[in-house]
Amino acid sequence: MKYRLTTALIALAAAGAVQAQDNVLHVYNWSDYIAEDTLEKFTAETGIEVTYDVYDSNEVLEAKMLAGSSGYDVVVPTSDFLQRQIAAGVYGTLDKSKLPNLANMDADLMAGASAYDAGNEHAVIYMWGTTGIGYNVAAIAERLGDDFEVDSWSLIFDPEISAKLADCGISLLDAPTEILPAAMNYLGLDPNSSAKADFEAGAALLETVRPNIRYFHSSQYISDLANGDTCVAVGWSGDVFQAQARADEADNGVEVAYVIPKEGALQWFDMLAIPADAPHPDAAHAFINFIMDAQITADITNYVWYANGNAASMSLVDEEITSDPGIFPTEAAKAGLWASTVYSARTDRVISRLWTRVKTGQ
Amino acid sequence: MAEELSACERRPWVEATETPFVRIKGITKMFGDLAAVDDVSLDIYRGELFCLLGGSGCGKSTLLRMLAGFETPTAGTIEIDGQDMAGVAANLRPTNMMFQSYALFPHMSVEKNVAYGLLREGVPKPEAMQRTADMLSMVKLDGFANRKPHQLSGGQQQRVALARSLIKQPKLLLLDEPLGALDKKLREETQFELIRIQEDLGVTFIVVTHDQEEAMTLSTRIGVMDAGKIVQVGEPREIYETPNSKYVADFIGSVNIFDGEVDVAAPDLMRVNTAEGAIVCEPMAGLTAKQKLHIAVRPERMQLSRTPIEAANTMRGMVMEVAYMGNLSVYRVQLPGGQCLKVTAANGLHDENPITWDEEVHIGWSAAASTVLVK
Amino acid sequence: MSNSKLARRFVIAVPNIWLILFFMIPFLVVLKISLAEPRIAIPPYSPLWEWVNGEIKFNINFENYAYMWEDTLYINAYLSSIKIAAISTLLTLLIGYPMAHYIARSPEPKRSILLLLVILPFWTSFLLRVYAWIGILKTKGILNAVLLWAGIIDEPLIIMQTDIAVYIGIVYTYLPFLILPLYANLVKLDDTLLEASRDLGASRISSFFRITLPLSMPGIIAGCMLVFIPVLGEYVIPALLGGPDTLMIGKVLWTEYFGNRDWPVASAVAIVMLIIMLIPIMVLRRAQSKGAEI
Repeated sequence: MKYRLTTALIALAAAGAVQAQDNVLHVYNWSDYIAEDTLEKFTAETGIEVTYDVYDSNEVLEAKMLAGSSGYDVVVPTSDFLQRQIAAGVYGTLDKSKLPNLANMDADLMAGASAYDAGNEHAVIYMWGTTGIGYNVAAIAERLGDDFEVDSWSLIFDPEISAKLADCGISLLDAPTEILPAAMNYLGLDPNSSAKADFEAGAALLETVRPNIRYFHSSQYISDLANGDTCVAVGWSGDVFQAQARADEADNGVEVAYVIPKEGALQWFDMLAIPADAPHPDAAHAFINFIMDAQITADITNYVWYANGNAASMSLVDEEITSDPGIFPTEAAKAGLWASTVYSARTDRVISRLWTRVKTGQ
Repeated sequence: MAEELSACERRPWVEATETPFVRIKGITKMFGDLAAVDDVSLDIYRGELFCLLGGSGCGKSTLLRMLAGFETPTAGTIEIDGQDMAGVAANLRPTNMMFQSYALFPHMSVEKNVAYGLLREGVPKPEAMQRTADMLSMVKLDGFANRKPHQLSGGQQQRVALARSLIKQPKLLLLDEPLGALDKKLREETQFELIRIQEDLGVTFIVVTHDQEEAMTLSTRIGVMDAGKIVQVGEPREIYETPNSKYVADFIGSVNIFDGEVDVAAPDLMRVNTAEGAIVCEPMAGLTAKQKLHIAVRPERMQLSRTPIEAANTMRGMVMEVAYMGNLSVYRVQLPGGQCLKVTAANGLHDENPITWDEEVHIGWSAAASTVLVK
Repeated sequence: MSNSKLARRFVIAVPNIWLILFFMIPFLVVLKISLAEPRIAIPPYSPLWEWVNGEIKFNINFENYAYMWEDTLYINAYLSSIKIAAISTLLTLLIGYPMAHYIARSPEPKRSILLLLVILPFWTSFLLRVYAWIGILKTKGILNAVLLWAGIIDEPLIIMQTDIAVYIGIVYTYLPFLILPLYANLVKLDDTLLEASRDLGASRISSFFRITLPLSMPGIIAGCMLVFIPVLGEYVIPALLGGPDTLMIGKVLWTEYFGNRDWPVASAVAIVMLIIMLIPIMVLRRAQSKGAEI
């Protein structure tokens, strides 16, 4: 269920019009990324009304944050984006005295996140996941044979294999800093490399399979996978599971599965942070603290099928989820995961140019 | 051909010596429940300049449009030069039309407007251009070939429209109020121009007009229309002198109409009682006593005097208005019974003491001047 | 100053203030950004001038414009936008002209109903209508379901995320913008001109091409420009219906701004787009003043 309560415009207008002390909160989060009742419960408990907007790319979030005066109180950047936005002065430091539930967080994961945010001064983990492959089981079997095992990026990056799937639709995330490293990794290069040559090699690989890609989008694939409109999507773990759940719910005969390829995949953290110019910082702290409640986080994980960073909630998360290697990777799989890299503005420009080139086929 | 007599000299309609060129038989055109043209039959002869005269909405334009092929008759047939026009599309008829609004193509030069018909017919371009130049000089528009219609005066536009409608040498030219948009002076000049061209080319013209003066000047014959019907067909003089109905008498020129009933209808005496007294007319067959009818008297047939007049009919009245028109004056005279008469009198060279307002006058006219109208 | 003089000044001032407020100022802001350098900061570009050691230092660079020449992406995007705008304008004209003609030739009560039907889609959100096309065109959408059911095709047609879908979306969306000015022109066409043409021996088809079509030229140009100009910068339709290789300047602009977060290049792209759009706008103005003459 998507909470598209109002548009960003109304949020902006409202932010300008009301006093900072008002009992309202403006949240900007990824689409399909919260439980159905989370906001309701928050309002019931605190009396704070929530305006909730969604986006589906870190780039869009960053564009809005760097423009300044976004009017949002809580946003959810991914760790690598968080780091450079902190450097740009986008986020304020958290007042940990207002966040007693920090005690619930998994110390190991928070330590991992501190690589991007020294001392966890600006953000706490909301959810984390991997960027892998979602696919339509029957459609793959029909085209590649019943015995074909989907366990490799070759499904996309091998032109011969992906050509057989082009007719039923392959989609990639419109997220260059996640797809290009995956291509580099497939070529045996370091996925965390910042070398221009490595990115060019990754882009060249993508260009060879470009004719087989139907679109680049970071949220549409959820419904398309669920409806059978596409059969392979490089996507975020939880989103693929949501597609799976929707297909089950619709009972349309589509079976969706998620795999972390054997070559490895990106592991990322989405972080709750408060913009430095947030109009309602108190309400923002209250919201973050509320999210860190064991039951609330568990509810969200149970709904969106993303792993969280909350140790206290684990006992409340469905067994079905905790035992799924696509969500909580096995120790063997964990070894292949790589963390996201923070790029300089210059590398960033190289990446975005290459990406535009790949996407448009120019 | 040059020796051939013109239609007004041949007068074929008098004794039906020729096959009519246009035969309209029982034509009716319904618009919904309304008969715009109601069972009209009409024969028009080669070389005629026939005027369809009537007020607005009388059906004259609809009749013309059926001849051109823009409207399909609800009933009846039209033959042009022996050929039944039923099912013949407008672009295939041997007619051309000159539109009241001229309908010049605004995006084309004068030359292109005029040549349009020839080029559509497949006439080779050099020939078409030569004929266009000839036609333009006939209508005295040499030197205007490259102008656009909006750069021309009304009179020039009218001549372009005429040239365009004549360029294909149609057997029958239909003209819808051809002079309607011109001012009075230009209209009079153009009337004679139109007659000259018609006689030179020997084309049959059917002209629709609401202007009775124009019809009188132009036509070999006039068909007066009212409410979708032809009420009278005849030469201008015939229509004027012997109108067959109150409508025609009223429409053509000015006329004084008396409503009355027959008092005496003997072979040697015909007298009608009206509100203004008895009026004597020429004896006429087929009338019975007490029959209701109208008497029409043209204003110029009445005499006006301060002293009593010796005439078959005399009346007295009071001058209410005088309109000085130069060569003549028009008087409005109030009769004792309440009716107002219009009387015209020629103005003498040195009329020192003309009749004027509020004078009591005598009016008189002959029995022959009283036209009996049964309808 | 008299009241009427004041009123007249006010009347002249309103459009000028409007232009300054909503065109000139934004334009200058965009122009300023296009001369800056990108930074990861708030705002994400260098200021026009800075105080460095008590001296004013201007940061003006034309690199972003030069960059647009170096990377063929931008030129290709402009050319592709012009191509897509031109083809869809032509398609819209081919579909819209007969419709406008039919409406203009219809008798009165019917004409008003038909005009209403043309305007009716505006009562629904534009975005919603484009989304509706996704439902129709997608692989498991309504169109494919109907065609498969009717046995016309054996395999579903892949229309979504192709240029065909973009053309369908554009033609659908912009059709009323072409029909309305064309209708306004055609309804004024004097019927007697066509009668005169027929009377002079031209067939209906010939009359159409020689009379109706040339006389409706101002309407055609106005309608085409009303389609061509906005389609040139169209973003929503190619973003929702088009595939990744549907190259349009509106999408490139969006990518520069949101994807690459490179405001200076995005601004330079926008400035160049504006200049390109001035050409058809001038064509339109000339056509209108010519139309007023006739």
